[in-house]
Amino acid sequence: MHVRPSTHPTSQAKEAAFSPYEDHGGTNLAIAGPDYCLLASDTRQSNGYNINTRFAPKTFKLSNKSVLATAGCQPDCAMVTTRVKQSMLTYKHNHNKEMSTSAIAQMLSIMLYQRRFFPYYDFNILGGLDEDGKGCVYSYDAVGSYERVPCSAFGSASALIQPFLDNQVRNKNQLGKPKVTEFEPVTPLPLAEALRICKDSFTSATERDIYTGDYLQIFIITREGVEEQIHELKKD
Amino acid sequence: MLSEIVAQYTSEPTGYGAELTPGNFLARDAAKQFDSLSFDLPNAENPIDFLNTYTDVKSDNDNLIKLAHGTTTLAFKYAGGVVVAVDSRATQGSVIASQSVKKVIEINPYLLGTMAGGAADCFFWERELGRRCRLYELRNKERISVAAASKLLANMVYSYKGMGLSMGTMVSGWDKTGPNLFYVDNDGTRLKGNLFSVGSGATFAYGVLDTGYDHEMNKADAIDLGKRSIYHATHRDAYSGGYVRIYHINKEGWEFISLTDVDELHWQYADESRNRGA
Amino acid sequence: MSIMEYNGAAVVAMVGKNCVAIASDTRLGQQAMTIDTNFQKVFPVTDKTMIGMAGLATDVLTLRDRFRYKVNMYKLKEERTIEPQTFAHMVSAALYEKRFGPYFIEPVIAGMDKRNQPFICSMDTIGCINFAKDFVVAGNAGGGLYGMCESLWEPDLEPEDLFETISQALLNAVDRNALSGWGAVVHIITPDQVITRQLKSRMLDWADPTVKDKAVRYTRL
Repeated sequence: MHVRPSTHPTSQAKEAAFSPYEDHGGTNLAIAGPDYCLLASDTRQSNGYNINTRFAPKTFKLSNKSVLATAGCQPDCAMVTTRVKQSMLTYKHNHNKEMSTSAIAQMLSIMLYQRRFFPYYDFNILGGLDEDGKGCVYSYDAVGSYERVPCSAFGSASALIQPFLDNQVRNKNQLGKPKVTEFEPVTPLPLAEALRICKDSFTSATERDIYTGDYLQIFIITREGVEEQIHELKKD
Repeated sequence: MLSEIVAQYTSEPTGYGAELTPGNFLARDAAKQFDSLSFDLPNAENPIDFLNTYTDVKSDNDNLIKLAHGTTTLAFKYAGGVVVAVDSRATQGSVIASQSVKKVIEINPYLLGTMAGGAADCFFWERELGRRCRLYELRNKERISVAAASKLLANMVYSYKGMGLSMGTMVSGWDKTGPNLFYVDNDGTRLKGNLFSVGSGATFAYGVLDTGYDHEMNKADAIDLGKRSIYHATHRDAYSGGYVRIYHINKEGWEFISLTDVDELHWQYADESRNRGA
Repeated sequence: MSIMEYNGAAVVAMVGKNCVAIASDTRLGQQAMTIDTNFQKVFPVTDKTMIGMAGLATDVLTLRDRFRYKVNMYKLKEERTIEPQTFAHMVSAALYEKRFGPYFIEPVIAGMDKRNQPFICSMDTIGCINFAKDFVVAGNAGGGLYGMCESLWEPDLEPEDLFETISQALLNAVDRNALSGWGAVVHIITPDQVITRQLKSRMLDWADPTVKDKAVRYTRL
């Protein structure tokens, strides 16, 4: 007997897939200077078109010399941060000294790669001062490939901010201005100038990226320690 | 004594680290957590399918986690040794994530590895290879051969076959037998050869390389050929670009030759072609 | 890969003081492979209006010809030159005609109207017009272009400053995009002339013998 298959929507088998990942948006930026490192991130946490909260910091002080900025899936970001802090503490107890920023950088890479087959949905920027007291910025992909760069933008508005940083921080495409190549460890920019560029980047990104906005949290790492600033961004 | 030290740092890639109990937690060295390789797997019926659903190494779909990738790399043997040339671009989707990736990994003073495919995969496994080559040296009191080193790498990634690693690499160096070059990829393929090019721009590089290749050429010509091949690949392949990085290997080991912006090369070659025309 | 990314393109237009600018990259690719590095995506419509199209190259060429035909017919029927605003609606209607099987292009229109007021707009693939007062972008480097324009653009730029602004916006945006670049063309439209300049960007095509002369070219109308 011939049976016509039902085409009614409710008669069809449905599979509801569970996804362990969610994109909570948000943007981070970092600039390494001759004697400082600047990390900035917005504090909006969103889920699709909804804003979960306007103030959810995702950049954390690790030590007096290093700060970790995370963006992506909030639980994964929190997990990575916790694990880095834990390992740093163990290291401190064992060696009676603070972990250097370059050591944290390598450790974070391995930590991320351990989840090669179940990645953290987390894009990190590690900023701080290196052994010589110069600013340093390490940027990562989700599974631990990393490099030291003079400046970096990561997160939902990174496509908007990164070309602006190339242009204003590294003087790309500007004839007659000294170039700062990708291989330079730091930019020669004075701190005030870096702060201006950083704030400009976020005001612009807030205009066009719906996942970026509310407040701008800036960390300035110098020999004196870590200074934290909060600035307002548009809340629409 | 030495064997004890060696044993301390020896582990199998599939082995598991010591149990983390409150008693031994503080006694553990932070670095030791990573001493043995163990990877977390998603708690899904098929972890591999799960991984392929959520990550995107080749930029062929819009999945959530985009991994850095895209490359032209090449290496060839000639009378004077081995030339290794690579570009420096990493892309995530169509966005250029970086123009400054170091795609040559200095395993030891006599061994070089190149990176193509997933940046993290190459980076991690070639670093692990470096560690094992050093252990080999300590145990055997002599340097590892290129053949053995490349086989170590091939065996390591072979044990993860089908799990989604992405790695196309050339292991090259100088050992007792002279210059050596091997191609190793994530399938576990390991090939000995005179000339290889790997990555999205490899076909373009092969075109230039095969045309200009001569086993008896001198060092300067060999380096120039490597540079031109990478340059032409970066010109045609959108996922290659940035800088051309060149290494040369002879019996003294490897030597870093140059790092040149492809745009600089572009105008330099333009002048050459104009002068030839005039 | 989306069909909108198949050939690769970046187009941007900006308003200045008594002038407008429109610029594009010159790459034509087949996905990752670069085919042509002197492919034009911005075309003159009238003496004071230009259209740039980002998207599938075959549709760019088809629509260039269709719009030329339509504008010529308009001129013959109406015995006057089409205004940029009118042209924008003509383009919109032409795109909406194919609502259920669209052309794969996003147009950007820039021009000076009969009162010499600057006009720019952009559209989606089915002709929804975005009348912007500052700048519009289209193509694969869209995110980067928005970021650059939002940061660099300011009101009432003189033609030369507008040229610098749009050039910097375009060059730095395409330098972060794998599918566009390989040269760029900028047109500055003022009430009495169009200034066209080819920018020396990363990997502009040197094999093309005309490129050297084009480096700085002024076209007077």
